[in-house]
Amino acid sequence: MTFLSKISYNLSQLVFLKLMSEVQRKKYSDKDKNDIFDNEFMPHIDSMYNFGYRLTFDEDDAKDLVQDTYLKAYRFINSFEKGTNAKAWLFRILKNSFINEYRKKSKQPAKVDYQEVETYYNSDSVDYNITSDLRVDTVKDMIGDEISNALNSLAVDFRTVIILCDLEGFTYEEMAKILDIPIGTVRSRLHRARNLLKDKLRSYAQDMGYDTDNED
Amino acid sequence: MEKDLNPPERKLKCDDVSKCFQLLESILDGQEQSDSNGTLDHKLAKCQPCFEYYNLEQAIREVLKTKCTKQPVPSELASNIRQKIEEIK
Repeated sequence: MTFLSKISYNLSQLVFLKLMSEVQRKKYSDKDKNDIFDNEFMPHIDSMYNFGYRLTFDEDDAKDLVQDTYLKAYRFINSFEKGTNAKAWLFRILKNSFINEYRKKSKQPAKVDYQEVETYYNSDSVDYNITSDLRVDTVKDMIGDEISNALNSLAVDFRTVIILCDLEGFTYEEMAKILDIPIGTVRSRLHRARNLLKDKLRSYAQDMGYDTDNED
Repeated sequence: MEKDLNPPERKLKCDDVSKCFQLLESILDGQEQSDSNGTLDHKLAKCQPCFEYYNLEQAIREVLKTKCTKQPVPSELASNIRQKIEEIK
Protein backbone atom coordinates (compact mmCIF):
# COMPACT_ATOMS: atom_id res chain seq x y z
CA MET A 1 0.00 0.00 0.00
CA THR A 2 1.43 3.39 -0.98
CA PHE A 3 1.63 6.34 1.40
CA LEU A 4 -1.23 8.09 -0.39
CA SER A 5 -3.38 4.97 -0.32
CA LYS A 6 -2.68 4.58 3.41
CA ILE A 7 -3.78 8.16 4.11
CA SER A 8 -6.87 7.71 2.01
CA TYR A 9 -7.68 4.38 3.70
CA ASN A 10 -7.20 5.77 7.22
CA LEU A 11 -9.36 8.79 6.45
CA SER A 12 -12.15 6.64 5.11
CA GLN A 13 -11.91 4.41 8.20
CA LEU A 14 -12.36 7.48 10.40
CA VAL A 15 -15.30 8.70 8.36
CA PHE A 16 -16.89 5.28 8.52
CA LEU A 17 -16.47 5.02 12.28
CA LYS A 18 -17.95 8.50 12.64
CA LEU A 19 -20.90 7.52 10.49
CA MET A 20 -21.53 4.40 12.52
CA SER A 21 -21.10 6.07 15.90
CA GLU A 22 -23.41 8.99 15.16
CA VAL A 23 -25.63 9.81 18.09
CA GLN A 24 -28.63 7.55 17.95
CA ARG A 25 -31.53 9.92 17.51
CA LYS A 26 -34.30 7.36 17.70
CA LYS A 27 -35.28 4.41 19.78
CA TYR A 28 -37.43 2.37 17.46
CA SER A 29 -39.61 -0.52 18.58
CA ASP A 30 -39.03 -3.88 16.88
CA LYS A 31 -42.16 -3.27 14.81
CA ASP A 32 -40.88 0.14 13.67
CA LYS A 33 -37.51 -1.37 12.82
CA ASN A 34 -39.15 -4.03 10.69
CA ASP A 35 -41.38 -1.45 8.99
CA ILE A 36 -38.42 0.76 8.13
CA PHE A 37 -36.37 -2.17 6.96
CA ASP A 38 -39.11 -3.62 4.77
CA ASN A 39 -40.61 -0.41 3.42
CA GLU A 40 -37.67 2.00 3.25
CA PHE A 41 -34.53 -0.14 2.94
CA MET A 42 -35.42 -3.26 1.00
CA PRO A 43 -37.02 -1.48 -2.02
CA HIS A 44 -33.50 -0.27 -2.90
CA ILE A 45 -31.93 -3.72 -3.14
CA ASP A 46 -31.89 -3.61 -6.95
CA SER A 47 -29.97 -0.30 -7.08
CA MET A 48 -27.72 -1.43 -4.23
CA TYR A 49 -26.79 -4.67 -5.95
CA ASN A 50 -26.08 -2.93 -9.24
CA PHE A 51 -23.95 -0.33 -7.45
CA GLY A 52 -22.04 -3.13 -5.71
CA TYR A 53 -21.59 -4.99 -8.97
CA ARG A 54 -20.38 -1.90 -10.82
CA LEU A 55 -17.81 -1.30 -8.09
CA THR A 56 -16.48 -4.86 -7.89
CA PHE A 57 -17.42 -6.52 -11.22
CA ASP A 58 -18.02 -9.70 -9.26
CA GLU A 59 -21.38 -11.24 -8.36
CA ASP A 60 -20.23 -12.76 -5.07
CA ASP A 61 -18.46 -9.61 -3.94
CA ALA A 62 -21.51 -7.55 -4.87
CA LYS A 63 -23.76 -9.89 -2.89
CA ASP A 64 -21.42 -9.72 0.12
CA LEU A 65 -21.28 -5.94 -0.06
CA VAL A 66 -25.05 -5.59 -0.22
CA GLN A 67 -25.65 -8.12 2.55
CA ASP A 68 -23.05 -6.43 4.74
CA THR A 69 -24.63 -3.04 4.05
CA TYR A 70 -28.11 -4.22 5.03
CA LEU A 71 -26.81 -5.83 8.21
CA LYS A 72 -25.06 -2.60 9.18
CA ALA A 73 -28.17 -0.63 8.27
CA TYR A 74 -30.25 -2.80 10.61
CA ARG A 75 -27.67 -2.69 13.39
CA PHE A 76 -27.49 1.12 13.24
CA ILE A 77 -31.14 1.69 12.35
CA ASN A 78 -31.57 4.09 15.29
CA SER A 79 -29.22 6.51 13.49
CA PHE A 80 -31.66 6.64 10.58
CA GLU A 81 -34.55 9.05 10.72
CA LYS A 82 -37.68 7.43 9.37
CA GLY A 83 -38.95 9.02 6.17
CA THR A 84 -35.61 10.62 5.23
CA ASN A 85 -33.43 9.64 2.29
CA ALA A 86 -32.92 5.92 2.88
CA LYS A 87 -31.38 5.32 -0.52
CA ALA A 88 -28.61 7.89 0.01
CA TRP A 89 -28.01 6.56 3.55
CA LEU A 90 -27.67 2.98 2.26
CA PHE A 91 -25.42 4.01 -0.62
CA ARG A 92 -23.15 5.82 1.81
CA ILE A 93 -22.80 2.70 3.95
CA LEU A 94 -22.14 0.53 0.89
CA LYS A 95 -19.53 2.93 -0.46
CA ASN A 96 -17.74 2.98 2.92
CA SER A 97 -17.88 -0.80 3.18
CA PHE A 98 -16.38 -1.05 -0.27
CA ILE A 99 -13.50 1.28 0.63
CA ASN A 100 -12.82 -0.24 4.04
CA GLU A 101 -13.32 -3.90 3.40
CA TYR A 102 -13.32 -4.77 -0.27
CA ARG A 103 -10.35 -2.59 -1.22
CA LYS A 104 -8.44 -3.85 1.82
CA LYS A 105 -9.05 -7.46 0.80
CA SER A 106 -8.07 -6.79 -2.79
CA LYS A 107 -4.74 -8.36 -3.66
CA GLN A 108 -4.17 -5.92 -6.48
CA PRO A 109 -1.18 -3.66 -5.83
CA ALA A 110 -2.21 -0.13 -4.96
CA LYS A 111 -1.38 2.21 -7.76
CA VAL A 112 -1.44 5.97 -7.89
CA ASP A 113 -3.19 7.23 -10.94
CA TYR A 114 -2.35 10.75 -12.12
CA GLN A 115 -6.00 11.61 -12.67
CA GLU A 116 -6.81 10.37 -9.19
CA VAL A 117 -4.08 12.51 -7.60
CA GLU A 118 -5.28 15.48 -9.58
CA THR A 119 -8.81 14.88 -8.35
CA TYR A 120 -7.77 14.94 -4.71
CA TYR A 121 -5.27 17.76 -4.78
CA ASN A 122 -6.61 20.06 -7.45
CA SER A 123 -10.16 19.17 -6.90
CA ASP A 124 -12.23 22.21 -7.70
CA SER A 125 -10.46 23.83 -10.61
CA VAL A 126 -11.80 22.54 -13.87
CA ASP A 127 -10.74 23.43 -17.34
CA TYR A 128 -13.84 23.60 -19.53
CA ASN A 129 -12.55 23.24 -23.05
CA ILE A 130 -14.10 22.31 -26.34
CA THR A 131 -12.18 19.10 -26.85
CA SER A 132 -14.71 16.55 -27.96
CA ASP A 133 -15.21 15.71 -31.59
CA LEU A 134 -17.71 13.02 -30.67
CA ARG A 135 -20.99 13.29 -32.56
CA VAL A 136 -24.38 13.18 -30.88
CA ASP A 137 -25.71 10.63 -33.37
CA THR A 138 -22.67 8.42 -32.83
CA VAL A 139 -23.37 8.33 -29.09
CA LYS A 140 -27.05 7.59 -29.68
CA ASP A 141 -26.23 4.75 -32.07
CA MET A 142 -24.04 2.92 -29.56
CA ILE A 143 -25.35 -0.25 -28.00
CA GLY A 144 -25.65 -0.90 -24.28
CA ASP A 145 -22.53 -3.04 -24.09
CA GLU A 146 -20.37 -0.30 -25.57
CA ILE A 147 -21.72 2.26 -23.13
CA SER A 148 -21.35 -0.12 -20.18
CA ASN A 149 -17.81 -1.12 -21.18
CA ALA A 150 -16.76 2.51 -21.49
CA LEU A 151 -18.19 3.27 -18.05
CA ASN A 152 -16.63 0.18 -16.50
CA SER A 153 -13.20 1.06 -17.86
CA LEU A 154 -13.05 4.28 -15.82
CA ALA A 155 -11.14 4.43 -12.52
CA VAL A 156 -13.46 3.66 -9.62
CA ASP A 157 -13.76 7.24 -8.31
CA PHE A 158 -14.80 8.53 -11.73
CA ARG A 159 -17.07 5.56 -12.38
CA THR A 160 -18.77 6.11 -9.03
CA VAL A 161 -19.82 9.72 -9.65
CA ILE A 162 -21.34 8.83 -13.01
CA ILE A 163 -23.22 5.89 -11.51
CA LEU A 164 -24.57 8.03 -8.67
CA CYS A 165 -25.55 10.98 -10.87
CA ASP A 166 -26.63 9.54 -14.20
CA LEU A 167 -27.77 6.04 -13.34
CA GLU A 168 -29.17 6.59 -9.86
CA GLY A 169 -30.25 10.22 -10.14
CA PHE A 170 -28.68 11.55 -6.95
CA THR A 171 -28.28 15.32 -6.60
CA TYR A 172 -24.85 16.92 -6.12
CA GLU A 173 -25.73 17.47 -2.46
CA GLU A 174 -26.66 13.82 -1.94
CA MET A 175 -23.51 12.71 -3.74
CA ALA A 176 -21.40 14.99 -1.54
CA LYS A 177 -22.84 13.24 1.53
CA ILE A 178 -22.49 9.75 0.11
CA LEU A 179 -18.88 10.34 -0.92
CA ASP A 180 -17.86 12.65 1.95
CA ILE A 181 -16.52 15.29 -0.41
CA PRO A 182 -17.46 18.95 -1.00
CA ILE A 183 -20.05 19.79 -3.67
CA GLY A 184 -17.37 21.60 -5.71
CA THR A 185 -15.40 18.37 -5.86
CA VAL A 186 -18.51 16.45 -6.92
CA ARG A 187 -18.97 18.89 -9.79
CA SER A 188 -15.35 18.82 -10.94
CA ARG A 189 -15.03 15.04 -10.58
CA LEU A 190 -18.20 14.55 -12.62
CA HIS A 191 -16.90 16.85 -15.32
CA ARG A 192 -13.60 14.95 -15.51
CA ALA A 193 -15.38 11.61 -15.42
CA ARG A 194 -17.61 12.53 -18.34
CA ASN A 195 -14.63 13.81 -20.33
CA LEU A 196 -12.84 10.51 -19.76
CA LEU A 197 -16.02 8.68 -20.78
CA LYS A 198 -16.17 10.72 -23.99
CA ASP A 199 -12.57 9.71 -24.75
CA LYS A 200 -13.52 6.05 -24.34
CA LEU A 201 -16.65 6.42 -26.45
CA ARG A 202 -14.71 8.24 -29.16
CA SER A 203 -12.16 5.47 -29.27
CA TYR A 204 -14.91 2.81 -29.45
CA ALA A 205 -16.53 4.79 -32.24
CA GLN A 206 -13.32 4.90 -34.24
CA ASP A 207 -12.64 1.19 -33.68
CA MET A 208 -16.16 0.29 -34.76
CA GLY A 209 -16.07 2.53 -37.82
CA TYR A 210 -18.69 4.97 -36.57
CA ASP A 211 -18.46 8.45 -38.00
CA THR A 212 -16.48 10.95 -35.93
CA ASP A 213 -15.20 14.41 -36.83
CA ASN A 214 -11.68 13.11 -36.25
CA GLU A 215 -11.67 10.89 -39.29
CA ASP A 216 -11.41 13.61 -41.91
CA MET B 1 -30.81 18.57 -32.74
CA GLU B 2 -27.81 18.19 -35.00
CA LYS B 3 -29.90 18.85 -38.12
CA ASP B 4 -30.08 22.47 -37.04
CA LEU B 5 -26.32 22.97 -36.86
CA ASN B 6 -24.77 26.30 -37.53
CA PRO B 7 -27.64 28.66 -38.35
CA PRO B 8 -26.33 32.11 -39.34
CA GLU B 9 -27.24 33.86 -36.08
CA ARG B 10 -25.15 31.57 -33.84
CA LYS B 11 -21.73 32.74 -32.69
CA LEU B 12 -18.99 30.29 -33.60
CA LYS B 13 -16.95 31.19 -30.52
CA CYS B 14 -18.25 31.21 -26.97
CA ASP B 15 -17.33 34.29 -24.89
CA ASP B 16 -16.98 32.35 -21.63
CA VAL B 17 -16.70 28.62 -22.19
CA SER B 18 -15.99 27.78 -18.54
CA LYS B 19 -18.99 29.64 -17.14
CA CYS B 20 -21.36 28.51 -19.89
CA PHE B 21 -20.39 24.84 -19.91
CA GLN B 22 -20.55 24.65 -16.12
CA LEU B 23 -24.04 26.17 -16.22
CA LEU B 24 -25.13 23.77 -18.96
CA GLU B 25 -23.88 20.79 -16.93
CA SER B 26 -25.73 22.04 -13.85
CA ILE B 27 -28.96 22.41 -15.82
CA LEU B 28 -28.63 18.94 -17.33
CA ASP B 29 -27.93 17.51 -13.87
CA GLY B 30 -31.04 19.21 -12.51
CA GLN B 31 -29.05 21.45 -10.17
CA GLU B 32 -30.28 24.81 -11.44
CA GLN B 33 -33.59 26.52 -10.67
CA SER B 34 -36.25 26.33 -13.35
CA ASP B 35 -35.75 29.99 -14.36
CA SER B 36 -32.35 29.01 -15.74
CA ASN B 37 -34.21 27.04 -18.37
CA GLY B 38 -35.78 30.24 -19.63
CA THR B 39 -32.37 31.53 -20.64
CA LEU B 40 -31.30 28.14 -21.94
CA ASP B 41 -33.12 28.29 -25.27
CA HIS B 42 -31.80 31.79 -25.84
CA LYS B 43 -28.24 30.73 -25.06
CA LEU B 44 -28.41 27.67 -27.30
CA ALA B 45 -29.91 29.69 -30.13
CA LYS B 46 -27.08 32.21 -30.01
CA CYS B 47 -23.94 30.14 -29.41
CA GLN B 48 -22.77 27.20 -31.52
CA PRO B 49 -20.23 25.76 -29.01
CA CYS B 50 -22.88 25.86 -26.24
CA PHE B 51 -25.45 24.28 -28.57
CA GLU B 52 -23.12 21.43 -29.49
CA TYR B 53 -21.86 20.91 -25.94
CA TYR B 54 -25.39 20.81 -24.54
CA ASN B 55 -26.61 18.27 -27.10
CA LEU B 56 -23.62 15.96 -26.65
CA GLU B 57 -23.79 16.09 -22.85
CA GLN B 58 -27.54 15.45 -23.01
CA ALA B 59 -27.05 12.46 -25.33
CA ILE B 60 -24.39 10.96 -23.04
CA ARG B 61 -26.63 11.27 -19.98
CA GLU B 62 -29.51 9.75 -21.94
CA VAL B 63 -27.60 6.67 -23.16
CA LEU B 64 -26.10 6.10 -19.71
CA LYS B 65 -29.57 6.20 -18.20
CA THR B 66 -31.29 4.04 -20.79
CA LYS B 67 -28.67 1.68 -22.21
CA CYS B 68 -26.32 0.67 -19.39
CA THR B 69 -26.56 -3.04 -18.74
CA LYS B 70 -28.37 -3.88 -15.50
CA GLN B 71 -27.55 -6.95 -13.46
CA PRO B 72 -30.50 -8.96 -12.18
CA VAL B 73 -30.47 -9.24 -8.39
CA PRO B 74 -29.76 -12.85 -7.34
CA SER B 75 -33.05 -14.34 -6.21
CA GLU B 76 -31.67 -15.59 -2.89
CA LEU B 77 -30.11 -12.28 -1.81
CA ALA B 78 -33.17 -10.75 -0.14
CA SER B 79 -33.99 -13.95 1.75
CA ASN B 80 -30.35 -14.36 2.84
CA ILE B 81 -30.36 -10.83 4.20
CA ARG B 82 -33.61 -11.43 6.10
CA GLN B 83 -32.21 -14.66 7.52
CA LYS B 84 -29.05 -12.90 8.73
CA ILE B 85 -31.15 -10.16 10.30
CA GLU B 86 -33.18 -12.76 12.22
CA GLU B 87 -29.92 -14.24 13.52
CA ILE B 88 -28.69 -10.92 14.95
CA LYS B 89 -32.02 -9.87 16.47
